[in-house]
Amino acid sequence: MKIEEIMVKKLESVEANAPVYDAIEKMVDRRIRSILVKPKDEKDVYGIVTMRDIVFKVIGKNLDPNKIKVEEIASKPVISIDKDMDIDHVISLMNKFNIARVFVSEGKEIIGVASLFDIMGASLIEKARGGHVA
Amino acid sequence: MLLDKVFPGGKTEQKVIDNIKKHIKTLCSASDCFKRALEKRDKDLMFCVPDLEREGDAIRREIISTIYEGAFLPFLRPNICRFVEIVDEAFDVLEDAAHEFEYLYSELDKEIEEDCIKIADMNLKMSEMLFIAFETLFGKEDIREKNLAIRIYENKIDEIKFDLTEKLRRKEVKNFWEGKILSDFIADLTHVSDVIEDASDYLYIMNISLR
Repeated sequence: MKIEEIMVKKLESVEANAPVYDAIEKMVDRRIRSILVKPKDEKDVYGIVTMRDIVFKVIGKNLDPNKIKVEEIASKPVISIDKDMDIDHVISLMNKFNIARVFVSEGKEIIGVASLFDIMGASLIEKARGGHVA
Repeated sequence: MLLDKVFPGGKTEQKVIDNIKKHIKTLCSASDCFKRALEKRDKDLMFCVPDLEREGDAIRREIISTIYEGAFLPFLRPNICRFVEIVDEAFDVLEDAAHEFEYLYSELDKEIEEDCIKIADMNLKMSEMLFIAFETLFGKEDIREKNLAIRIYENKIDEIKFDLTEKLRRKEVKNFWEGKILSDFIADLTHVSDVIEDASDYLYIMNISLR
Protein backbone atom coordinates (compact mmCIF):
# COMPACT_ATOMS: atom_id res chain seq x y z
CA MET A 1 0.00 0.00 0.00
CA LYS A 2 1.25 3.46 -0.87
CA ILE A 3 1.09 6.44 1.46
CA GLU A 4 -1.02 8.39 -1.07
CA GLU A 5 -3.87 5.91 -0.52
CA ILE A 6 -4.18 6.65 3.19
CA MET A 7 -3.01 10.25 3.55
CA VAL A 8 -5.41 12.99 4.58
CA LYS A 9 -5.61 15.63 1.87
CA LYS A 10 -7.00 18.31 4.11
CA LEU A 11 -4.09 20.44 5.25
CA GLU A 12 -4.23 23.22 7.76
CA SER A 13 -1.57 25.88 7.36
CA VAL A 14 -0.55 29.19 8.83
CA GLU A 15 1.57 32.08 7.51
CA ALA A 16 5.15 32.16 8.80
CA ASN A 17 4.82 35.73 10.08
CA ALA A 18 1.46 35.14 11.81
CA PRO A 19 1.37 35.22 15.62
CA VAL A 20 1.50 31.86 17.41
CA TYR A 21 -1.99 32.64 18.73
CA ASP A 22 -3.35 32.20 15.15
CA ALA A 23 -1.81 28.74 15.01
CA ILE A 24 -3.27 27.87 18.44
CA GLU A 25 -6.73 28.97 17.34
CA LYS A 26 -6.62 26.85 14.19
CA MET A 27 -5.31 23.83 16.07
CA VAL A 28 -8.03 24.07 18.70
CA ASP A 29 -10.80 24.65 16.14
CA ARG A 30 -9.68 21.82 13.88
CA ARG A 31 -8.68 19.46 16.71
CA ILE A 32 -5.20 18.93 15.25
CA ARG A 33 -1.82 18.60 16.91
CA SER A 34 0.38 20.18 14.28
CA ILE A 35 0.07 22.79 11.59
CA LEU A 36 1.97 23.42 8.39
CA VAL A 37 3.87 26.70 8.13
CA LYS A 38 3.80 28.21 4.66
CA PRO A 39 7.08 29.32 3.02
CA LYS A 40 7.69 33.07 3.32
CA ASP A 41 8.85 33.36 -0.28
CA GLU A 42 9.94 31.20 -3.21
CA LYS A 43 13.34 30.53 -1.63
CA ASP A 44 11.85 29.49 1.68
CA VAL A 45 10.60 25.98 2.53
CA TYR A 46 7.61 24.55 4.41
CA GLY A 47 7.90 24.22 8.18
CA ILE A 48 5.82 22.74 10.95
CA VAL A 49 4.59 23.82 14.37
CA THR A 50 3.43 21.14 16.76
CA MET A 51 1.54 21.27 20.05
CA ARG A 52 4.87 20.43 21.74
CA ASP A 53 6.52 23.50 20.19
CA ILE A 54 3.72 25.73 21.46
CA VAL A 55 3.64 24.28 24.97
CA PHE A 56 7.41 24.01 25.50
CA LYS A 57 8.63 27.07 23.58
CA VAL A 58 5.86 29.57 24.33
CA ILE A 59 3.41 28.63 27.09
CA GLY A 60 6.01 26.88 29.27
CA LYS A 61 8.24 29.95 29.11
CA ASN A 62 5.39 32.32 29.96
CA LEU A 63 5.71 34.09 26.63
CA ASP A 64 2.78 35.86 25.01
CA PRO A 65 1.58 33.83 21.96
CA ASN A 66 0.33 37.07 20.42
CA LYS A 67 3.84 38.50 20.38
CA ILE A 68 5.76 35.47 19.10
CA LYS A 69 5.73 34.75 15.39
CA VAL A 70 5.10 31.26 14.11
CA GLU A 71 8.42 31.17 12.25
CA GLU A 72 10.29 31.68 15.56
CA ILE A 73 9.16 28.33 16.92
CA ALA A 74 8.64 26.38 13.68
CA SER A 75 10.82 23.44 12.69
CA LYS A 76 12.19 23.72 9.17
CA PRO A 77 12.38 22.08 6.74
CA VAL A 78 9.41 19.82 7.32
CA ILE A 79 10.08 16.11 6.82
CA SER A 80 8.12 15.07 3.77
CA ILE A 81 7.98 11.89 1.75
CA ASP A 82 7.02 11.08 -1.80
CA LYS A 83 3.38 10.14 -2.40
CA ASP A 84 4.45 6.84 -3.96
CA MET A 85 6.39 5.64 -0.92
CA ASP A 86 5.37 2.26 0.46
CA ILE A 87 3.78 2.17 3.95
CA ASP A 88 6.46 -0.19 5.34
CA HIS A 89 9.15 2.27 4.34
CA VAL A 90 7.19 5.16 5.87
CA ILE A 91 6.86 3.26 9.16
CA SER A 92 10.59 2.68 9.39
CA LEU A 93 11.27 6.35 8.60
CA MET A 94 8.83 7.53 11.27
CA ASN A 95 10.42 5.14 13.72
CA LYS A 96 13.92 6.34 12.82
CA PHE A 97 13.06 10.04 13.20
CA ASN A 98 10.64 9.42 16.10
CA ILE A 99 7.83 11.40 14.50
CA ALA A 100 4.06 10.89 14.75
CA ARG A 101 3.10 12.28 11.35
CA VAL A 102 4.66 12.88 7.97
CA PHE A 103 3.77 15.24 5.21
CA VAL A 104 3.35 13.83 1.74
CA SER A 105 4.71 15.66 -1.28
CA GLU A 106 4.36 15.60 -5.02
CA GLY A 107 7.38 17.39 -6.42
CA LYS A 108 7.83 20.48 -4.27
CA GLU A 109 4.20 20.68 -3.28
CA ILE A 110 2.89 19.25 0.01
CA ILE A 111 -0.33 17.42 -0.87
CA GLY A 112 -1.28 15.56 2.31
CA VAL A 113 -0.39 14.34 5.76
CA ALA A 114 -0.42 10.90 7.36
CA SER A 115 -0.29 10.18 11.07
CA LEU A 116 0.56 7.01 12.97
CA PHE A 117 -3.18 6.72 13.65
CA ASP A 118 -3.94 6.82 9.89
CA ILE A 119 -1.33 4.13 9.27
CA MET A 120 -2.64 1.93 12.07
CA GLY A 121 -6.23 2.30 10.83
CA ALA A 122 -5.29 1.53 7.21
CA SER A 123 -3.29 -1.55 8.24
CA LEU A 124 -6.16 -2.89 10.35
CA ILE A 125 -8.65 -2.35 7.53
CA GLU A 126 -6.36 -4.05 5.02
CA LYS A 127 -5.95 -7.02 7.36
CA ALA A 128 -9.72 -7.20 7.94
CA ARG A 129 -10.44 -7.15 4.21
CA GLY A 130 -7.96 -9.97 3.77
CA GLY A 131 -8.21 -9.83 -0.02
CA HIS A 132 -12.00 -10.26 0.04
CA VAL A 133 -14.01 -8.82 -2.81
CA ALA A 134 -17.64 -8.39 -1.78
CA MET B 1 -18.52 -21.91 11.73
CA LEU B 2 -20.73 -20.89 14.62
CA LEU B 3 -23.96 -20.84 12.65
CA ASP B 4 -22.98 -24.19 11.16
CA LYS B 5 -23.03 -25.61 14.68
CA VAL B 6 -26.51 -24.22 15.36
CA PHE B 7 -28.15 -25.56 12.23
CA PRO B 8 -26.92 -28.82 10.73
CA GLY B 9 -27.30 -27.92 7.05
CA GLY B 10 -31.08 -27.33 6.92
CA LYS B 11 -32.51 -26.15 3.59
CA THR B 12 -34.55 -23.28 5.01
CA GLU B 13 -31.61 -22.07 7.09
CA GLN B 14 -29.37 -22.10 4.04
CA LYS B 15 -32.01 -20.15 2.14
CA VAL B 16 -32.04 -17.49 4.88
CA ILE B 17 -28.25 -17.25 4.90
CA ASP B 18 -28.08 -16.96 1.11
CA ASN B 19 -30.73 -14.26 1.18
CA ILE B 20 -28.97 -12.30 3.93
CA LYS B 21 -25.82 -12.35 1.78
CA LYS B 22 -27.88 -11.20 -1.19
CA HIS B 23 -29.41 -8.47 0.99
CA ILE B 24 -26.01 -7.11 2.04
CA LYS B 25 -24.67 -7.36 -1.51
CA THR B 26 -27.66 -5.34 -2.70
CA LEU B 27 -26.73 -2.72 -0.10
CA CYS B 28 -23.19 -2.72 -1.55
CA SER B 29 -24.63 -2.19 -5.04
CA ALA B 30 -26.85 0.66 -3.83
CA SER B 31 -23.89 2.32 -2.07
CA ASP B 32 -21.75 1.92 -5.18
CA CYS B 33 -24.44 3.38 -7.40
CA PHE B 34 -24.96 6.29 -4.99
CA LYS B 35 -21.24 7.06 -5.07
CA ARG B 36 -21.06 6.93 -8.87
CA ALA B 37 -24.11 9.17 -9.25
CA LEU B 38 -22.56 11.67 -6.85
CA GLU B 39 -19.23 11.63 -8.69
CA LYS B 40 -20.92 12.13 -12.05
CA ARG B 41 -23.45 14.62 -10.62
CA ASP B 42 -26.02 12.47 -12.36
CA LYS B 43 -29.49 12.77 -10.81
CA ASP B 44 -30.93 10.18 -13.22
CA LEU B 45 -28.34 7.59 -12.23
CA MET B 46 -29.37 8.17 -8.59
CA PHE B 47 -32.71 6.45 -9.34
CA CYS B 48 -30.89 3.13 -9.06
CA VAL B 49 -30.83 3.62 -5.26
CA PRO B 50 -34.63 3.51 -4.73
CA ASP B 51 -34.77 0.62 -7.22
CA LEU B 52 -32.23 -1.35 -5.22
CA GLU B 53 -33.96 -0.38 -1.97
CA ARG B 54 -37.19 -1.97 -3.27
CA GLU B 55 -35.19 -5.06 -4.22
CA GLY B 56 -33.75 -5.08 -0.69
CA ASP B 57 -37.27 -4.83 0.76
CA ALA B 58 -38.37 -7.89 -1.20
CA ILE B 59 -35.34 -9.86 0.01
CA ARG B 60 -35.99 -8.77 3.60
CA ARG B 61 -39.62 -9.93 3.41
CA GLU B 62 -38.49 -13.29 2.07
CA ILE B 63 -35.92 -13.69 4.86
CA ILE B 64 -38.44 -12.86 7.60
CA SER B 65 -41.08 -15.18 6.06
CA THR B 66 -38.62 -18.07 5.84
CA ILE B 67 -37.59 -17.52 9.46
CA TYR B 68 -41.22 -17.55 10.59
CA GLU B 69 -41.78 -20.72 8.58
CA GLY B 70 -39.42 -22.32 11.06
CA ALA B 71 -35.84 -21.69 10.00
CA PHE B 72 -33.34 -21.66 12.87
CA LEU B 73 -33.88 -22.42 16.52
CA PRO B 74 -36.44 -20.10 18.18
CA PHE B 75 -33.87 -18.33 20.38
CA LEU B 76 -31.94 -17.24 17.28
CA ARG B 77 -34.86 -15.94 15.22
CA PRO B 78 -35.32 -12.50 16.87
CA ASN B 79 -31.58 -11.80 16.58
CA ILE B 80 -31.44 -12.66 12.89
CA CYS B 81 -34.61 -10.67 12.17
CA ARG B 82 -33.21 -7.65 14.04
CA PHE B 83 -29.93 -7.82 12.10
CA VAL B 84 -31.82 -7.90 8.79
CA GLU B 85 -33.97 -4.97 9.88
CA ILE B 86 -30.92 -2.88 10.75
CA VAL B 87 -29.43 -3.58 7.29
CA ASP B 88 -32.79 -2.56 5.83
CA GLU B 89 -32.63 0.68 7.79
CA ALA B 90 -29.30 1.43 6.07
CA PHE B 91 -31.13 1.07 2.74
CA ASP B 92 -33.83 3.50 3.90
CA VAL B 93 -31.35 6.15 5.01
CA LEU B 94 -29.38 5.82 1.77
CA GLU B 95 -32.62 6.12 -0.21
CA ASP B 96 -33.56 9.29 1.69
CA ALA B 97 -30.14 10.76 0.87
CA ALA B 98 -30.64 9.81 -2.81
CA HIS B 99 -34.02 11.57 -2.93
CA GLU B 100 -32.59 14.66 -1.27
CA PHE B 101 -29.77 14.69 -3.82
CA GLU B 102 -32.39 14.74 -6.57
CA TYR B 103 -34.11 17.72 -4.94
CA LEU B 104 -30.95 19.76 -4.23
CA TYR B 105 -31.53 23.29 -5.55
CA SER B 106 -28.05 23.76 -6.99
CA GLU B 107 -24.87 21.81 -7.50
CA LEU B 108 -22.84 21.14 -4.38
CA ASP B 109 -19.89 23.44 -3.70
CA LYS B 110 -16.64 21.80 -4.77
CA GLU B 111 -15.28 21.35 -1.24
CA ILE B 112 -18.60 20.05 0.09
CA GLU B 113 -18.90 17.72 -2.90
CA GLU B 114 -15.40 16.27 -2.30
CA ASP B 115 -16.29 15.45 1.30
CA CYS B 116 -19.62 13.91 0.27
CA ILE B 117 -17.89 11.66 -2.29
CA LYS B 118 -15.37 10.59 0.37
CA ILE B 119 -18.23 9.69 2.72
CA ALA B 120 -20.10 7.83 -0.04
CA ASP B 121 -16.92 5.87 -0.79
CA MET B 122 -16.51 4.96 2.87
CA ASN B 123 -20.18 3.96 3.11
CA LEU B 124 -19.52 1.55 0.23
CA LYS B 125 -16.39 0.16 1.91
CA MET B 126 -18.30 -0.26 5.16
CA SER B 127 -21.08 -2.22 3.48
CA GLU B 128 -18.46 -4.43 1.80
CA MET B 129 -16.87 -4.97 5.20
CA LEU B 130 -20.27 -5.87 6.66
CA PHE B 131 -20.56 -8.58 4.02
CA ILE B 132 -17.10 -9.89 4.92
CA ALA B 133 -18.05 -9.77 8.63
CA PHE B 134 -21.21 -11.78 7.97
CA GLU B 135 -19.20 -14.40 6.11
CA THR B 136 -16.88 -14.81 9.10
CA LEU B 137 -19.83 -16.29 11.01
CA PHE B 138 -19.24 -19.37 8.87
CA GLY B 139 -15.45 -19.32 8.80
CA LYS B 140 -12.54 -19.43 11.18
CA GLU B 141 -11.62 -15.76 10.90
CA ASP B 142 -12.12 -13.38 13.81
CA ILE B 143 -15.19 -11.15 13.45
CA ARG B 144 -13.68 -8.75 15.98
CA GLU B 145 -11.20 -7.32 13.49
CA LYS B 146 -13.93 -6.78 10.87
CA ASN B 147 -16.01 -4.99 13.50
CA LEU B 148 -13.02 -2.80 14.37
CA ALA B 149 -12.43 -1.95 10.68
CA ILE B 150 -16.04 -0.78 10.44
CA ARG B 151 -15.59 1.37 13.55
CA ILE B 152 -12.45 2.93 12.04
CA TYR B 153 -14.39 3.89 8.91
CA GLU B 154 -17.17 5.31 11.05
CA ASN B 155 -14.72 7.45 13.03
CA LYS B 156 -13.30 8.82 9.79
CA ILE B 157 -16.77 9.74 8.58
CA ASP B 158 -17.45 11.46 11.91
CA GLU B 159 -14.34 13.60 11.42
CA ILE B 160 -15.44 14.61 7.92
CA LYS B 161 -18.94 15.30 9.24
CA PHE B 162 -17.46 17.73 11.77
CA ASP B 163 -15.73 19.66 8.95
CA LEU B 164 -18.80 19.53 6.74
CA THR B 165 -20.95 21.06 9.45
CA GLU B 166 -18.46 23.93 9.69
CA LYS B 167 -18.62 24.46 5.93
CA LEU B 168 -22.40 24.31 5.89
CA ARG B 169 -22.63 26.94 8.60
CA ARG B 170 -20.68 29.35 6.41
CA LYS B 171 -22.78 28.64 3.34
CA GLU B 172 -25.39 31.16 2.33
CA VAL B 173 -28.76 29.74 1.39
CA LYS B 174 -31.48 31.51 -0.55
CA ASN B 175 -34.53 30.04 1.12
CA PHE B 176 -35.71 27.63 3.80
CA TRP B 177 -36.16 24.61 1.53
CA GLU B 178 -32.74 24.95 -0.10
CA GLY B 179 -31.14 24.93 3.34
CA LYS B 180 -33.33 22.14 4.68
CA ILE B 181 -32.77 19.79 1.75
CA LEU B 182 -29.01 20.35 1.79
CA SER B 183 -28.88 19.87 5.57
CA ASP B 184 -31.04 16.71 5.39
CA PHE B 185 -28.90 15.34 2.55
CA ILE B 186 -25.70 15.69 4.61
CA ALA B 187 -27.41 14.35 7.75
CA ASP B 188 -28.66 11.22 5.95
CA LEU B 189 -25.42 10.68 4.05
CA THR B 190 -23.47 10.72 7.29
CA HIS B 191 -26.07 8.62 9.14
CA VAL B 192 -25.69 5.57 6.84
CA SER B 193 -22.38 4.70 8.51
CA ASP B 194 -23.98 4.83 11.99
CA VAL B 195 -26.57 2.26 10.91
CA ILE B 196 -23.97 -0.02 9.28
CA GLU B 197 -21.93 0.22 12.48
CA ASP B 198 -25.05 -0.80 14.47
CA ALA B 199 -25.52 -3.79 12.14
CA SER B 200 -21.87 -4.76 12.61
CA ASP B 201 -22.19 -4.47 16.40
CA TYR B 202 -25.29 -6.65 16.28
CA LEU B 203 -23.43 -9.23 14.23
CA TYR B 204 -20.68 -9.20 16.83
CA ILE B 205 -23.21 -9.73 19.62
CA MET B 206 -24.81 -12.58 17.66
CA ASN B 207 -21.39 -14.12 17.27
CA ILE B 208 -20.80 -13.98 21.04
CA SER B 209 -24.26 -15.39 21.83
CA LEU B 210 -23.58 -18.37 19.55
CA ARG B 211 -20.35 -19.38 21.28
